[in-house]
Parts: sequence; C-alpha cells; structure tokens
Amino acid sequence: MSMRFPLLLGIVILIAGLGLSMLLTDYHLRLLNLAVISAIAVIGLNFAFGYAGLISLGHAAFVGTGAYGVALLTTLLGWSPWLALPVAVAGTAIFAVLIGLPLLRLKGHYLALATLGLNVSFSMVAANWIELTGGTNGISRIPELQVAGHALADERSYLWFALAVLAVSAAVAGLIHASRHGRAMIAVRDDETAASMTGIDVTRVKIAAFVLSSIYAAVAGGLFACHMRFISPEDFSYAHSITYLAMLIVGGEGSIVGAILGALLLTFLPEWLRFLGSAYLAFFGVFVLAILVFLPSGLVGFRWPGSLRRDGRSKGPAMVAASKEVRP
Amino acid sequence: MLACKDLTVAYGDIVALQSVTLEVGRGETVALIGANGAGKTTLLHAISGLNPVQSGDIMFEGTSVARLASDRRVALGIAQAPEGRRIIPGLTVEENLALATVSWRRWRQPISGDLARVFDLFPRLKERRRQLGWSLSGGEQQMLAIGRALMARPRLLLLDEPSLGLAPRLAEEVYERVRQIADSGLTILVVEQNTVLALSVADRAYVLETGRIVLHGTADDLKQNTRVREAYLGR
Repeated sequence: MSMRFPLLLGIVILIAGLGLSMLLTDYHLRLLNLAVISAIAVIGLNFAFGYAGLISLGHAAFVGTGAYGVALLTTLLGWSPWLALPVAVAGTAIFAVLIGLPLLRLKGHYLALATLGLNVSFSMVAANWIELTGGTNGISRIPELQVAGHALADERSYLWFALAVLAVSAAVAGLIHASRHGRAMIAVRDDETAASMTGIDVTRVKIAAFVLSSIYAAVAGGLFACHMRFISPEDFSYAHSITYLAMLIVGGEGSIVGAILGALLLTFLPEWLRFLGSAYLAFFGVFVLAILVFLPSGLVGFRWPGSLRRDGRSKGPAMVAASKEVRP
Repeated sequence: MLACKDLTVAYGDIVALQSVTLEVGRGETVALIGANGAGKTTLLHAISGLNPVQSGDIMFEGTSVARLASDRRVALGIAQAPEGRRIIPGLTVEENLALATVSWRRWRQPISGDLARVFDLFPRLKERRRQLGWSLSGGEQQMLAIGRALMARPRLLLLDEPSLGLAPRLAEEVYERVRQIADSGLTILVVEQNTVLALSVADRAYVLETGRIVLHGTADDLKQNTRVREAYLGR
C-alpha cells in the first residue's frame, strides 16, 4: 500500500524539528525535548487506544519500566546506555505480554480501571523497593548518551537525536497502520465480533497492540532517563498516564500526526499559561472539553472555516480526512 | 459437509436451541427459516463459533469444530456474512475486503484475483472501493458483507438475514447474487425471515420454531406445505 506517507512524515518531522532547534532558546529546547519524548509515548498509546480501542490508564507504567530499566542497567551494572536501551525495551515488552494476557480479557471501564491499578502498583513498587530503585529519592547519575565520542550533553544535540528517534517511530507506526496488522487492530476496535468472524485472532491482535504500545513507551522512557539523567517514581505516576491519554485525544485519536500535535501542545500549554497559576487546571479542563465538543476528531480534524462547504456540512469530510490518514 | 448433531445452546438458564440436528451437503444451498426469536442466528453463531455449545457436536468435513475458536473455523473454510452486516466503519471497502484474507494469506501474497472476483459480482463495490465503510448504503453494506465472507475463500458460506432492512427490490438483487454464488458451486447455509426469498434460492430448508427443528424438506415441498404456507408465506 502507501509507503509514501510514513516516509514523508518522518522527513517533515526532521526538517521542522531541525528548524526549530536553531531558533529556540535553551529553555524551550528542553521543553521541546520533553514534547518529542512524550510524542513517542503517545504514538505508542495510539496503537492500543487509537487503533485497537484498548483504554489504557497505565501507559506511564511502561514508560517507567523502560526508564527504570535503563537507569538500573547503567548505574548498577555499569552498562552502556546503548546496550541498556534495547534490553530495557525488550524487558518491557515481555512485561507487557505477561501483564496483557490476563488484563486484556477485560473490556471498557474494567480495562481502564485495571490499567490504572497497574500504574498505581508500579509507583508503589518504585517508591518502596528502596534497595533497588532508591525509593522516592530516585536514581541519579544516569550516564549521558554518546554518539561517535560526542556526549549528547546539551539540549540541542539531544533534541537532534530524539527527533531522529521520533521520525523513525512515526514512520514505523505509519507503516504498521497501513499494513494488514493495522487494519486488524482497527477492525477489533470497531467491531470485535465482526473481526473474529472474518478470521482475525482477536486476542492476539489485542496483545500485539498492547505490546507495541509498551515498546514505544519504553523507548520514550529510556530517552527520558538519558535526557534528565535522574528519575524518580513521580515521573511515572498515573497522572502522567492521563496526560498521555489527553494528548492523544486532543491531538486526534487514531492519528499519528495527532499524537505528535497533542504531545507538543500539552507540553507547551502549561508553560504559556504559567501566569494563570493554579487556575491552569480549570482552564485545561475547559480546553479539553472544548476540543471534545468542537473538534471531536482532535486537532487533526481542524479545517479552516473557509473550507466549509456551502451547505455547512464539514464534519463528514473532516472525519473522513482524519481517519484517512496514511491512506493514498 | 456440515452436520450439527443434537446441538443444544443456552444463554444462561434460557435454552435457545434444543437438540437441533441439521445437515448441509457439498454444493447445496440450504435455508433456515423461522420467526423472530426462533433461534436461527443462535444456530448460525454456534456454527461459526460465536456461541459456545452446551452439548451435541458440529462436524465440518468429518472433523469436529464445536470447540474451536471462530478464527480457526474461518481458516477451515466456514465464513459468515453476519446479521446487520457489521462492516468495519473506519476501514475502506477495499480494506474491509482485505481484512478477511488473514485466514489464508501468506506474507505479501497478492489478493487482486480475489478482489476482482468480488468486484465482478458486486460492481457497485468497485466504484466505492476507497470509501469508508460507514458511508455505504444498506444494500451496499450487505454486498460488502457477502463479499468480505467470500474473501476468506470459504467452502461453506453462512448468510444471516441478507434481506434485513433492505427495500424489496434491493433484497431481490442481493438474492440474485446469492443464487449466482450458489450456481458457482459454493455450499451455502442461509438464515432468513423472508421465507419467499429464502425458498427461491434454496434446494432444501429447515423450519426452526422456539429452538427446535419442526420441519424440513426440499424447498419445493415446503412451498406446498400447508403449515409453512399459513405461518410463513401468508397464503
């Protein structure tokens, strides 16, 4: 099918990101780094929630598993981050299979609640297994990533690396979406019974989507650990899971571009609105509500009013456009 | 080819099917008729694996499939066009069709031949191949549901109320295609409330009432049967 869209998407991410990296101040570069890392996690969540329709409120637990994996392997065993990253990602994937097998028997609200429970237990274990995780003090002195002898120590060079990972992640996600595996996930989301009638192994598709989402989460977690070089249980609390979900819904569920836009917006928005102080949360709530009401398919569903058809019907075509992403 | 023996299916305490015995021979078109709530769809779902079987057995080409998951049964050659069509709304017509090839398709194996066959049968689908499922009309969705079942390369095609919710002319058009599929030699088991339509394509038929088979015979015999005429044909 279409190989062009994923490639194009990757290239656009790289060019836009490189351009921004030249313009922004160090502080904003740091935010952009965090946004790019979140975007990788949210593209992952899109597999489970956007494509396969599995509501996960425990995504941060998998981000945390990846981050703690990298942190422990590098600080305790002295591994290179380059070796620790893939091992932590693989470990998270195995963890996701083990946890997914019982958990994915649940549906809807029950699955949401169970994944929330998973995230809470993850935080509990991370905060209380002090000998291993350092408890609430976290793990510090995580080594920085080195590329060809150069440490990615400053925000700008780290951003370039993170952008490359994001571009590859987004392109791979686009290819999966356009493949029969992506179709199978969407079929399971839209109608589980119909999917199993057409010969799809529903359980396997759900596990695959869940594990894919955890792999992306672990990559994001590993990048986060190497970027901050210090992690603590608070970085992976269930509140972060809800933020990831909000990013995906605001950006546009089922859309890779939406996942990236949502991650960018919800990372920068709190900084732009810092003057609101604690009123920010109230604003944020109203903002998300407004998106849900006026842009039900998220930011990617936005069309300029000029493109409204004369009879005022814009919702249909907009929805088609949003769900048509990645298709020729 | 298909044999249900003493099949009993219950939803909790409510018995929906009671020792149903039914046979479909190779190349035959068999209709299952009955009123609302008689258990027609329940029987079809038991055959395709969506309903668990309490007792009895389902044999397909000599092997028992009663305990297999539905995706395994599709792989063996039992495909279903479900009641209410159940098109995947977020996928295009072509993607809906491609979906059903998972049971036999190896990596990168082309499906254009299978697609062409379905598009020959239903030219309307070809025109709308890039449209999303939800944007199709009822008749087109029914054609897509049948086409999707055919994409699984079935040896037994299960059709659940293909005329449901269609204007009479469209229903007849759908049944014309069903006849065409039957003429090509595929074995078909069709569940239908519209007895006239069902008997027009079937070789044989079973009549289901409150979970039991009360009558069976050739379509021509049933058309003459007083009980069938009074209860289902309204004459």
